[in-house]
Amino acid sequence: MVAIFVLLAMLLKLPIGISLAFSALAGSLLGGEGIGLRHLVEGSFGYFDTILIIVTAMIFMNVLQASGILDTITSILLRTFYKKKFALLLSVMALIMFPGMITGSSTAAVLTTGALVAPVLMKMGLPKVKTGALIAMGGILGMIAPPVNILVMIMGGGVDMPYVGLTLPLLIIVIPLAIVISLWLGYRDIKIIEYEKMKAILPPSYSKKYGFRLYLPLIVVLVLMLGQSVLPRIMPDIGIPAIFLLGSLIGLGCGRPFNFFKTTQKAMQQSIPISCILVGVGMFIQIMTLTGARGWIVISFLSLPSLLLYLGIATSMPLFGAVSAFGSASILGVPFILALIDKNAIITSSALSAVAGLGDLMPPTALAGIFAAQVVGEANYFKVLRHCLMPALFQLVMGVAVLHFAPFIDKLI
Amino acid sequence: MQIVYHLIVFYLTCHFIWYLFREKKFWNKVSVALVLIMFLLRLFLIK
Amino acid sequence: MRNIKGNFISALLLLFAIAICFLSTLKFLSMQKKEAIFPSRGLTSRKMLSSYFPGLKKTWGDTDVYLYEGQEKGGNLLILGGAHANEPAGFITAVLLIENIQVSTGKIIIVPRANNSGFTHSQPQEGNPQRYSLESPWGRRHFRHGSRLTNPVHQWPDPSIYINPAGQKLSGADSRNLNRCYPGRKTGSLTEKIASGIMELIKKEKIDLALDLHEAAPEYPVINAIVFHENSADLAALTLMELQIEGFDFRLEASPTNLRGLSHREWGDHAQIMAILLESANASHGRLKGKTSPALIVEGKDKNYMKAAKLGLLFVPYGEDGIPLKLRVARHLAAVKSILSNLEELYPEKRIEIKNMPSSSELKKVGIGPFLNPPN
Ligand SMILES: [Zn+2]
Repeated sequence: MVAIFVLLAMLLKLPIGISLAFSALAGSLLGGEGIGLRHLVEGSFGYFDTILIIVTAMIFMNVLQASGILDTITSILLRTFYKKKFALLLSVMALIMFPGMITGSSTAAVLTTGALVAPVLMKMGLPKVKTGALIAMGGILGMIAPPVNILVMIMGGGVDMPYVGLTLPLLIIVIPLAIVISLWLGYRDIKIIEYEKMKAILPPSYSKKYGFRLYLPLIVVLVLMLGQSVLPRIMPDIGIPAIFLLGSLIGLGCGRPFNFFKTTQKAMQQSIPISCILVGVGMFIQIMTLTGARGWIVISFLSLPSLLLYLGIATSMPLFGAVSAFGSASILGVPFILALIDKNAIITSSALSAVAGLGDLMPPTALAGIFAAQVVGEANYFKVLRHCLMPALFQLVMGVAVLHFAPFIDKLI
Repeated sequence: MQIVYHLIVFYLTCHFIWYLFREKKFWNKVSVALVLIMFLLRLFLIK
Repeated sequence: MRNIKGNFISALLLLFAIAICFLSTLKFLSMQKKEAIFPSRGLTSRKMLSSYFPGLKKTWGDTDVYLYEGQEKGGNLLILGGAHANEPAGFITAVLLIENIQVSTGKIIIVPRANNSGFTHSQPQEGNPQRYSLESPWGRRHFRHGSRLTNPVHQWPDPSIYINPAGQKLSGADSRNLNRCYPGRKTGSLTEKIASGIMELIKKEKIDLALDLHEAAPEYPVINAIVFHENSADLAALTLMELQIEGFDFRLEASPTNLRGLSHREWGDHAQIMAILLESANASHGRLKGKTSPALIVEGKDKNYMKAAKLGLLFVPYGEDGIPLKLRVARHLAAVKSILSNLEELYPEKRIEIKNMPSSSELKKVGIGPFLNPPN
């Protein structure tokens, strides 16, 4: 199955999702299960809720962009930080991460706020490949950061662990990485600029024109999201997709006017590749489970002695990300949590999500790398990936370290 | 709440179909069709 | 011209998607057809759960309730199978009792498909078959293999975080897990309504003792267990001793007081009845399982689990013979029988007497089939 996937995706250059679907079909035929249509369709439904979240999140991000909310926030940040290199890098990092934090998708982050800060960073002196790397890493960190970490949700679903109490462990992992990585990539090249020069590259701000109501969609979404985890008994739990769409509809009347239908179509265009990958991964996992391949992989890694287990985690999870970080989390993340069952599953899954998240840098999928290169206008995405190497290594070390010191961190929090 | 989600799925299904006809590249069309299968099945409350 | 061609391809792909939907729909909807159960002559009446709680009427949560009433008054027992529709030992044990027993003293009520909605779909990405079959002297009998959770089509969407009626915070999907929804909410979700229905049945039928039959993966720590509410501690302890003498390996687990919403906790707390949950080991549940097939469910043989047992990863012994369904059902039956005899010992006025109880030792030898009734 893996061989067929590689053949289709790399040699024939088919989209990843379709390659996965075809290799699942082939696996079903080779495993003597026939076409297994019911299994294929059923497998994809494992990600139905996830896809609903991604598509609605993409709509919301496009609304933020179209109504001028993102421009305004970027402009405010630049005005505040153009003289402070250190603070600028950190706030840019936070800005890139933000869409990833609330959607759990690195793609959402790279394609929205990533696209907005890219010209600013480049005009302030950062080479375009490094800008790309910063955006890609920001997207990945955003994907891991709370409140929404789909990787942990996928792993938690497999071990009956509720998605509760993850904010602190995830922040412990993400905050140091965000600081170190943004400084590593940007501190040397970013130059402090004059006030006049800054004004020339500033995106337009709409805060004067629309006032407070401009921020309303963002505030509603944040309040509803935080509410359902902080005050679950009082706040209505309408689910993340409904929150995003509600925020999007509110956005219609809060800023620059835009066409909601066209915005949804744009969101479709951006979310189809990832949705299709998830459909393919779902089919792939279902067939792997059906034929016993999943069990075989799990038992093989569980048989590793504990020292090699960390090595197995550090190599297999990012490598498997070539399928997708989500697939890596589901197929390998769950059994690794079971193998480390004597440790706190909340901390283990947080650390594993940091390792699995790197899968979004792994060719051929390399979602974060590909989209980041596209955003900065670099044709060869490997040039961007090269600059991600050291930051990715930091993240890997961080993940394994948290895994190793899980009992200590457990006591700490 | 089920009605709200039914409407969300209906809205997105319409967009998927519209996008299927707007998209130029063949394999991208296939991607849309694959995702569409799930949305249709949920829209008609089958799976 | 290009546009017309493009639209044509799009239309073809749309048709292709619709065709796949149609074909898979046939498969998915086939799960809605109930398998027949052929009750023994001892059956005194059959009701629907909605007759205890009308809120379930015309929903997928409504389910069959089989009543066996003796001539003499005694204790009242509730046996729940299929709270999780992917745990066949619980369901088949209930079916075997329905198709065999006669009650002379006391009353037994059996609900074979406690979560009826769970029987109508399979869990994505588990690769499970939709059905398994058992050979009987009257031909093959087919049974559905459902999901642990209520069908999302019947209860949708899941909340982000689920707070169950007993106040426990759980992941959203657990809102569809019947054994996390007790004591239920009458105006809540479908699963919470089912839980309410069962609570109503317990109250209206004046149940004294209720048993909830389950299965779990061999790597899951609470396995081969008798999980008891503290008000049935004596009963559970006596049962454990008797079963161990009979050669069944069981362990006792007290129902944790901080794990809320489970049957053994809320039945005892809210209806003040004796509540016990039985758990057997099913290899088709685990992440380690090899090829998934009806045979894995029925015969319970799996190489990966043998390997895992040697690595010390399991909480049950797992050898070359695996853990077949007939053994899992025999364990449940032996436990039911032992619980009843000890009930009489402890509370003579709550005596329940059964005729034609399927013998667990016989079952281990000849299998489940010979205990099934001919279709009528
Ligand atoms: Zn169960």
